[in-house]
Amino acid sequence: MSTATSRASRRDLALVWHQIRYEQLSFWRNPQSAFFTFVFPVVIITLFGAMFGGVGRSSYFYGLSALQYYVPTIAAVSVLGACYSQLAIVLSTRRQNGMLKRVRATPLPAWAYFLGLLAHCLVVSVVDIALIVGVGRLFGVPLPTQWAAAGAALVLGAASFCALGVAVASVIRNAEAAPAVVQLVLFPLVFISGTYLPIHSGVLDRIAGWLPVRPFNQALLGSFAQHTGVDWKDLGVLLAWGAAGALVAVWRFRWDPRAG
Amino acid sequence: MPDAITVSELARSYGAVRAVRGISFTVGRGEIFALLGPNGAGKTTTLEILEGFRGRDAGQVEVLGFDPADRATGRVLRERIGLVLQDIAVEPYLTVRETLARNAGYYPAPRDVGEVIALAGLAGQERTKVRNLSGGLKRRLDLGLGLIGDPDLLFLDEPTTGFDPSARRDAWQIVRGLRGCGTTILLTTHYMDEAQALADRVAVMSGGRIVARGTPADLGGRDSAQARIRFALPRGYAAADLPTGATAVAGDGLVTVRTSAPTETLHQLTGWALDRGLTLDRLTVDRPSLEDVYLGLTGTAAAEDPVERSDR
Repeated sequence: MSTATSRASRRDLALVWHQIRYEQLSFWRNPQSAFFTFVFPVVIITLFGAMFGGVGRSSYFYGLSALQYYVPTIAAVSVLGACYSQLAIVLSTRRQNGMLKRVRATPLPAWAYFLGLLAHCLVVSVVDIALIVGVGRLFGVPLPTQWAAAGAALVLGAASFCALGVAVASVIRNAEAAPAVVQLVLFPLVFISGTYLPIHSGVLDRIAGWLPVRPFNQALLGSFAQHTGVDWKDLGVLLAWGAAGALVAVWRFRWDPRAG
Repeated sequence: MPDAITVSELARSYGAVRAVRGISFTVGRGEIFALLGPNGAGKTTTLEILEGFRGRDAGQVEVLGFDPADRATGRVLRERIGLVLQDIAVEPYLTVRETLARNAGYYPAPRDVGEVIALAGLAGQERTKVRNLSGGLKRRLDLGLGLIGDPDLLFLDEPTTGFDPSARRDAWQIVRGLRGCGTTILLTTHYMDEAQALADRVAVMSGGRIVARGTPADLGGRDSAQARIRFALPRGYAAADLPTGATAVAGDGLVTVRTSAPTETLHQLTGWALDRGLTLDRLTVDRPSLEDVYLGLTGTAAAEDPVERSDR
């Protein structure tokens, strides 16, 4: 019995690896989409570098230079894009054109399919962050110091935002509406979370602190630039949002383009 | 051996629309069974319930011994069935071989990718990206994806809709080849000739019910129906001159003789003509075609049940 179980779990492991490989292959085969996925964060951080490269340490940026502040927040928003936005849009598109139903027609378990997507989002996030940190380095921003804390924040953040992306895809009925809905949710959230401008409002900070974006910003700021290590409260809030997203996803996710 | 599929008193409604109204049928192992009917007859709903995509309101369903609505056994069941769906939806940037190899990895004992490429008639297209395939080749890839897991049971939902005549014949040839391998096939179609060419047994659906069932040869009493002998009356003769009695005169100048003993009747007619040195021009003998039977069945049923038209 136990050998059968271990054989089954080894097969499942191979299955996940198989799915990750083909999900990657599909992505990199579409060079345009791959290019634009990575060009956006590079353009933003380069623009910010050009605009704020000369702004040194100030209290406005919590004692950091402008770019020391923006490298982690732009990194955070690129993870949001790679996980939450992309996944919500890709899933609603794949559902609408019948690709999800096609997946459902095979014995591939749902969890393996989603692990393949999660891995893909992580890969994109890591490449995004590497590019942003690299461009930041060109503008003289020191490399992040606390890699373990940054890694933990990244994995947890990516997983949580993926769960939220799946949740939004579960609620959206048609693919045309997906980008608009995704932006409608994300845009104000990114602004009040200090991604593009530091927020110096106690009330706003407290509100944003209970929403998913600011804790992620803070976690990356802490581990990239402020040497503060792991902030458990931020990670806890992220985790809670991820769990909420996962619940909605499990409860509402549909594979079939038609309601049924 | 138990049947591959048993369905009894299956029913499914969408709101007020009763798409499937208590149908029962079985499909034996190794059999090709066709659900025939016009759009909106409930074929696709029935198929989707059997495939596990839809729930049912009432009735019993068993597919290879499993209840397709049971999530716990869904994966085991899916490992043994192949689905060819109506909508073409495949990752556009992978090649034919990659697409098949990806899905092969989902099954415990898949067919060889090269073998499926040959079987589905995709030889020479291995390295073509899916987005560059023609519609017909995409459908073949669909079929290949249905076969890659080496299924015991294959569902084909309108497998040749949109095919040109030669592509249809090719597809039929593939399906017949599968029968040779012992694969059980349930197909839906609204083409009479397709059911006739492929199926061992047919059930005709209309308005959510099965209105007739049988082999393509005897469906709707075709085998016992009267044969129809038609020809042009020789010049100078009237229908009443024929030894077989009065016959109806059709608009195209042909007369029709209906008979339940075509061998004798034909002998009488040709003997009569030869004795007089006449020919019976444009002579044909036929039975009501499956299409005639089908139109009769579904037309009547639709008139009785004008309620629902769509299960889509």
